Formats: sequence, structure tokens, C-alpha cells
Amino acid sequence: MRELTVLYDPQCGLCRRAQAWLMSKPKYLELVFVPASSDEARSRYPQLNHSLTLTDLTVISDQGAVYSGPKAWLMCLWALRDYREWSLRLSSPELLPTAKRVISMISQNRYQLEGLGSVILKGAK
Amino acid sequence: MNVVVASYVFYLAISVALTVWVARTLHKNGRIFLVDVFHGNEPLADSVNHLLVVGFYLINLGYVSLALKLGYDVRNAQEGIEALSWKVGMVLVVLGGMHFFNLYIFSRMRRRASLVDAPPPVAPDAYTSVRGHSHA
Repeated sequence: MRELTVLYDPQCGLCRRAQAWLMSKPKYLELVFVPASSDEARSRYPQLNHSLTLTDLTVISDQGAVYSGPKAWLMCLWALRDYREWSLRLSSPELLPTAKRVISMISQNRYQLEGLGSVILKGAK
Repeated sequence: MNVVVASYVFYLAISVALTVWVARTLHKNGRIFLVDVFHGNEPLADSVNHLLVVGFYLINLGYVSLALKLGYDVRNAQEGIEALSWKVGMVLVVLGGMHFFNLYIFSRMRRRASLVDAPPPVAPDAYTSVRGHSHA
């Protein structure tokens, strides 16, 4: 695996900030950002159900493996040099259910969390 | 030779011998770790191992020589041995600290190296075709 394509929601400020943060970090593999359900996304992945990519973050490997929702977030962390260890830790059987719950919660409330997220991500930079 | 000078001589002899012993242990046993970290690249492992040991010598011998001065008067053999014991004890504690620090660096390097080849943390939900690829 050399490249991950991230189908993100361009309407959401939190997602754009998360994208900027991901782009600024050193990586093990390339992250390509494509707006979800855009023409580019549709031409890249003709068989994908694109309406699902608007509700959940979707990550697709260069081999066509599709990860959605919390799994997609963990794959993004896995791509980063400084956070790969965290992705492995969070996906352990003990932590995965909690990680999934927290990520789903953030994802579902992403429009409301915009203000809060900007503060957090500014601090993380 | 008065008691202070005698304790200095003993201090230097004991401290340098201890430093050499710990450094040789580190050099001999750290190599296996480093060969693993560098995926069997033995020349690179030997080079890094040697550089680490040089740093270890510099810090420890530097500390030993900075800590040589006693700063108070020693009148008899008993006080000389007490002063010597205190100084050598400090050297041992510093050596121990350095040794664990080195172990920490080795294990950290090994962990970081194993992360490069770590498989994805989760299994994919599905597979889709990618334009230009023919994977199902």
C-alpha cells in the first residue's frame, strides 16, 4: 500500500481543518484528498456507493480496499509517522469499541463541533 | 601522598574501570538490537553502536572528571573511604541512569522500526474497483 485516497466532506469546517492537519504531518504513505461525491471521486471509483461517502468519512487504498467511518479515521492516523502507534493502540480489541463510539459521535456532530474543533486543532498545530 | 590524593586515585581507577565495563556490556549486547532495528544491515548497526558507545564514554568520563573535586578536608582513612564511597556511588547511579537511557533508546528505535512494516490496524469494509486498476 503506497497511497490512501481520503473522500472527505468539503462542506464541513472540521473536516477541512482535519485535512489541513493531516497534510501538515509527516507520513508513511501518500494521502490524496478528494471531495466526497465529486466528479473526480465518481470517475476514480465508478462502482462505489457515493451517497454513503457523504455521511461517513471514506478512505480507499490504491488496491481498492474501502474503509469507512471510524475505520477510515484510524487509517488516516496509521498513515502518519507520529500517530501510527496510536492507530494500532486504538484498534486493539479493548479500545476499538470506545474509539468507534467517540469517532462516530464526533462525526455525527461535525457541523456543530466546528467551532470547538477549530480551537482544538489550532492548539495541536 | 595524603588521604585526599589517595582517594582521588582510587576514585579515578574505580570509576574508569566501571565505565569501561558498562560501555563494553552495552556495546556487546546492544549490537543484536541494532542489527534487528536496521533489518540486518550489520555495517550500519556497528557504526551506530560505536557512535552510541562513544557518546556514553564522553558523558560518563566527563561526569567522573567534573565530580572529582572533594571540596572538603579528609583527615583520616575512614573519612577517605566514606568520601570515596559517596563519589563512586554517584558514578554508579549516573552510569545506571545512562544505561537505562540507552536501553530506552534501543527499544524506541526497535519499536519505530517495527512500525514501518506494521499492517493496517483494521480490515477493510469492502473492495471497489479503482480507475486504472482491475482489482475486484
